[in-house]
Amino acid sequence: MNAATAAPIDRRMGGRRRGVLIAIALVGVWAGWRLQLNPADLWPDAAHWRAIGRFFLAALTPAWSYETEAPLGAAPLPIKAVYAALTTLIFAVAAASLSTLLGLVLSFFASTAWWADDPVGAVGSVRRWLRKTLRPTIYVLARSVIALMRCTHELIWAVLFLTAFGLTPIAAVIAIAIPYSGTLAKVFSELIDETPRGPSEALRASGAAPMTVFLFGLAPLAIPDLAAYAIYRFECALRAGAVLGFFGVTTLGYYIDGAFAMNHYREVWTYLYALLILVAIVDWWSGALRRRLTA
Amino acid sequence: MTDVASQIMGLRRARPRNRFVRVSVLLIALLIAGAWVVGPRDPERGFADGAVMRGFQLQDTFNQRRLTNLQNFLQRIRPYPMRESSWSWSEAASWSVDLLRDGGGEAMVNTLATAAAAIVLAGLAGLMLCWPAARNFACAQPFSHDVSQVRPSQRRFWSLLVVVTRAFLILTRSIPEYIWAFLLWTLLGRSLWAAVLALALHNAGILGKLGAETVENVDPSTPRALRALGASRGQLAAIGLFPPLTSRLLLYFFYRWETCVREATVLGLLGFATLGKLIDDRRVSEGYDDELVFFVLLGAVLVWVGDLLSALARGYLRRSA
Repeated sequence: MNAATAAPIDRRMGGRRRGVLIAIALVGVWAGWRLQLNPADLWPDAAHWRAIGRFFLAALTPAWSYETEAPLGAAPLPIKAVYAALTTLIFAVAAASLSTLLGLVLSFFASTAWWADDPVGAVGSVRRWLRKTLRPTIYVLARSVIALMRCTHELIWAVLFLTAFGLTPIAAVIAIAIPYSGTLAKVFSELIDETPRGPSEALRASGAAPMTVFLFGLAPLAIPDLAAYAIYRFECALRAGAVLGFFGVTTLGYYIDGAFAMNHYREVWTYLYALLILVAIVDWWSGALRRRLTA
Repeated sequence: MTDVASQIMGLRRARPRNRFVRVSVLLIALLIAGAWVVGPRDPERGFADGAVMRGFQLQDTFNQRRLTNLQNFLQRIRPYPMRESSWSWSEAASWSVDLLRDGGGEAMVNTLATAAAAIVLAGLAGLMLCWPAARNFACAQPFSHDVSQVRPSQRRFWSLLVVVTRAFLILTRSIPEYIWAFLLWTLLGRSLWAAVLALALHNAGILGKLGAETVENVDPSTPRALRALGASRGQLAAIGLFPPLTSRLLLYFFYRWETCVREATVLGLLGFATLGKLIDDRRVSEGYDDELVFFVLLGAVLVWVGDLLSALARGYLRRSA
């Protein structure tokens, strides 16, 4: 949204911001009243204090072996935690790679960058008519598909797949990939639309075809930002993969659920630490990569 | 080779190349190929599987039995009053209204309220936590020219503060909201406070980190000028740092609100009194798949409403000075 097309700027000193802040505060108060959130309720009773105490004490001594009789043939607990983390990573990589691919394709149709400008030179009337009717239709269609994909959380997609035909690993990957592709497509298309048009304008002025302008004038500028967001989505996919474990997929969430159900808090912390280490490593690597990409 | 071609070759050879990025790209390619080829390993067996690569078994999912299940499912989601007869819009409408009145509408409002309470708390927490996490502000002499009077103990204190705050922010945002809610459900009891706190904790970590980044990236000329005039830390923050921070943080706030609405719906799957609980109830009961899909669609409507509010608010804010 550049200055030429924006609505007139409101020059009152922070008036809009103050209004929004007041509105937010009022909505917060309404929400607290509606949900009957009493701050006094936050103070747990004795039984819960014991549970809380036991839980956080267990944080200091995560389990290295099973807390009760382990089933025959089960892998040692640390190995299981590492493999669960690995499986979480594999799910996340599969889901993120699939979403990035779909998101790229969809974002191409949902951005205005590749069809809004007329090419230099004579264009036949048929092609001009096509550009006026077909491409806006594709744009609106693409945006609608993206909105549909984005409107449901990946866990709800997982529940739908679970009810419809069971949650196999590939179904779990697709359940994560559907909303993620939608979000990636939306953000990619916005990033593409916001890239500086200097190089592409120069290419167009020198007579290049629209596809050449896009591939060589626009894409190289947009790719670092696209990659940075895709990496952020991968981090989110990691967490989504862990949570899918609560629905039967053998990732870290599955084992956290199981250990919690048996009140093996120390085992829970083993898996939680595994998750935290995994997330920390990926967080560090992605931060370093994003810094170098968008420097 | 012409002169132009050799110039282009020279430019290409001289382009900035980052070893970290190149190694990372190679690693990513290997990881993607490996993930799809190796597929999920069974953590129960550990090393017992040897080097068996199974990949994602497509034939497990796209086989006849599952397709039959899918077909059955698509028939089962036909609303109950219209199972035997043909589709009628008035029937569908009255069935929908009944479901809404029977708890759907209330669940929708509860979901929005949970998301609102959580994001407001997260915003407050993020606003408070971003200061001790910003290295250019949380130091002994922020934005001053003369740092020679800083004692090592002071420097250590501020470093420690930054590290501890950042660690807390990383911890809260690394644990997914669902897992937070799962833990708090047991530890705090089954009220909606657990859901609100779970969402608030996770988003406080995110908003705190984004706020700290904003403070660290602020243009230092104004704070430096204020410091040179003798402003105290509080005055520096209020005048030099708070305005750009609030503008930025409000935009992030509404972006996270969209996510909170989606998560609040999903947290109901654990048992909280939001839309997800209705979905979960229908999931475990046999024969209520039509209502399950209806509530999923209601969730989509809720998300659409939340996104609309967020877009309106951000548009309104962007037009302000």
